[in-house]
Amino acid sequence: MRVLMLTWEYPPFIVGGLGMACYGLFRGLFSLRVTVDFILPVKEDVYFKIKSPEEADHPRVKSENGEEAKEQKKPLEFFEFIYELPEEGAYASLKDFIVEVSKSLAVSSKEPKLQVPDEVISRLKYLLLQGNHMISKVSLYTEKVLRIAQRLSFDLIHAHDWLTYPAGLMLKKYFNKPLVSHIHATEFDRSLGFGHPIIHEIEYLGLNYADKVVAVSRYTANIIKELYFVPEEKVRVVYNAYYAETQSPHKIKKFKEPVVLFLGRLTPQKGPTIFLELAKKVLERTKKVRFLVAGAGEMERELMLWASSLGYGAHIMFTGFLKRAEVERALSLADIVIMPSPSEPFGIVALEAMHFGCALILSKQSGASEIVKSAYVIECWDVDKMVDIVLELINNPKLLKAKQEEARREVQTFRWEDRAREVLEVYRELLS
Amino acid sequence: MKVYVIFYFQVHQPFRIAPYSFFDIGTGKSYFDEDLNRAVFNKVSDRCYLPANNLFKELILESEGRFKISFSLTGTFIEQAKLYRPDVYQSFVDLWKTGGVELLSETYYHSLASIFDLEEFVEQVDEHIKLMKREFGHEPTVFRNTELIYFDKLSDVLINFPNLQTILIEGADRILMGESPLYPRWSANHAHLLLLKHYKLSDDIAFRFSDRSWPEWPLTVPKYVRWVNDLTLAEGQGRNLYLGLFMDYETFGEHQWAESGIFEFMRHLIRALLKEPMIDFLFPSEALKTLNFTPKALSVPTPTSWADTERDLSAWLSNPLQWNAMKSIFELLRLAKEKGRWDLVPTIRKLTTSDHFYYMCIKYFQDGDVHKYFSPYPSPEVAYKYFLNIIADLEQQLED
Repeated sequence: MRVLMLTWEYPPFIVGGLGMACYGLFRGLFSLRVTVDFILPVKEDVYFKIKSPEEADHPRVKSENGEEAKEQKKPLEFFEFIYELPEEGAYASLKDFIVEVSKSLAVSSKEPKLQVPDEVISRLKYLLLQGNHMISKVSLYTEKVLRIAQRLSFDLIHAHDWLTYPAGLMLKKYFNKPLVSHIHATEFDRSLGFGHPIIHEIEYLGLNYADKVVAVSRYTANIIKELYFVPEEKVRVVYNAYYAETQSPHKIKKFKEPVVLFLGRLTPQKGPTIFLELAKKVLERTKKVRFLVAGAGEMERELMLWASSLGYGAHIMFTGFLKRAEVERALSLADIVIMPSPSEPFGIVALEAMHFGCALILSKQSGASEIVKSAYVIECWDVDKMVDIVLELINNPKLLKAKQEEARREVQTFRWEDRAREVLEVYRELLS
Repeated sequence: MKVYVIFYFQVHQPFRIAPYSFFDIGTGKSYFDEDLNRAVFNKVSDRCYLPANNLFKELILESEGRFKISFSLTGTFIEQAKLYRPDVYQSFVDLWKTGGVELLSETYYHSLASIFDLEEFVEQVDEHIKLMKREFGHEPTVFRNTELIYFDKLSDVLINFPNLQTILIEGADRILMGESPLYPRWSANHAHLLLLKHYKLSDDIAFRFSDRSWPEWPLTVPKYVRWVNDLTLAEGQGRNLYLGLFMDYETFGEHQWAESGIFEFMRHLIRALLKEPMIDFLFPSEALKTLNFTPKALSVPTPTSWADTERDLSAWLSNPLQWNAMKSIFELLRLAKEKGRWDLVPTIRKLTTSDHFYYMCIKYFQDGDVHKYFSPYPSPEVAYKYFLNIIADLEQQLED
């Protein structure tokens, strides 16, 4: 079976939650003898093929006609991409317009082999022409995918997140192959409400005109059912897993006090303000703890000003952007990791934290909280509850240690091979 | 009646901190950026210290001592001069030996201790006085606080040093309330004579000299001499006037490049002023002896300084990053003294230098603004992060 994967991230080139998930899944599928070709948003006309486990770790570039590209002289050049919401008002009328148009493009047929109508394709082409910086990168990627796909043979298309949905839908239409749309995060998560109207529309079309949809959690499956009207029978939940490259490492003791870590982009979606609220309340009770905010993002200044105004000196610290190796070091020295996101489709960082032996507090508004049994799962708004737990853990080293060991053990049960088997099941349904 | 021109130049270099990441904590990495500090010192030495010292030495010698200047040399400057450029150190010693230089007293570390910890302030002033005695055999009688920060309480505290009789302060509008900065004043407690900076004529040289958008550009010697002479027009009672021209020494060759003609301007300006019958140069300490009137007292309840247009503490203490960092370092210093960790005290004191907090200032951190121009770090947030990481490292060391 040959699957053409469309994704925007893949390590080591771009590492985010999406990249980590694709890595685990592709590797898992390879072990089940699925051939995976994938196309990344690079300026060069190349694609990648996974023919061995090593190639999953270090994907090798194939030129457009499938030949092994000669020695890479230059590093690949990725499309520069910055997610941003439109200016207030700039899309106000467009938003109403889109809602109107979407109604006319609603999926009507319930026939088993769902076709992509011409109107949907022309609508997508129209959307991609919107001169926005962000959308234009998606347009470039879509053209590139259509060009390269002509030289490839594949049985099925698997598109990851909205950035690749236009390409996925067009491939399905022109090549008449089934499409699986994988949803790692919705625009509702990123913007904590109604976000970019064009992205919403692309998500709507990409999910509704796919043959099957894979959601990373029940939480996300519910969002797309309720807000994008994706029918239940089309959605499969496949949770993320963790592929351990190394043995679960020993904890590093950098401070005499326990370290409580927030790791993620500094955007509202990840809930860094909830973390600071927690830090403030804990530090009012004890100074024998350090809080670490690791990551970069548009809220950095605001968060730093707030944290410093509390006057707790170096008990609340900021690292700025962390490289991959630094993320691992941060996790190695953290005792407790908090993921307080008010809307997190999955939150793969939770599994990483477990591998590095961190006790976990997860918001109930996260996909990971549906499967991780060793974590404390708290409503994201219930800061007082989180404070109690943090205090209990730092005052009771035995309990903390037990929680950390429990996490280390549990993460080993989240295996990508199992998840890949579930995805393979979805493929089989479509190809039978 | 006379117009006394009092030149005072601030000579200071901070120990800038290294890019000290969170992961450097506990590794024993040096807090200070040796390479950067050496590079800056070399650059400023060649552009400013050496040529300016040569110029002023020449002018002092050719005027047979009628031309006079005063310097405040910080402890951190002297340390770096001896470490990186002994020739520059020697050049200051040589200039001092001409007799045309007065050396002032200040905090050794160019810190804001006067705001956060008065005991520490007294210790840092004491350390600096000892340095002046050791290096130059000189006991200062004139004080200037970091960045000309002054408030009434400061004079009270300086009574601890009976030799100090005069304090240099900023002639800020909000304390003068329309009165002239040319008349020295008594401190509110009448313990010290206050000499005021004439910020217009000082900044015409220090900030505006090469500014082509300034209507007075180009500044010529006759024009400036006329401005100084014109100061007498408003004085009807024959009182002596004291023109405080206070500025950073880096004005010469660093803030105003040699190409702007600043050195030649100064050479000709001073020669021209020496020819004026009404004008003399004075050491700050000589003001007290030349007064021909009884000064009024001046009350300064809240701190003034010479920084930014606000002339207050906002350059170092206008946002919570600066406040948290400064509060933490003084707390740490107190803790180190309590625990008797004298091995750490000099290092912590180097971190009290005002420049570290200046780099964390957000209010003027736009392209081309002075804070950004002087900062070795890409943003105030980055400067703050490095500083806090160092504090965390010191805290761990203090627990050992």
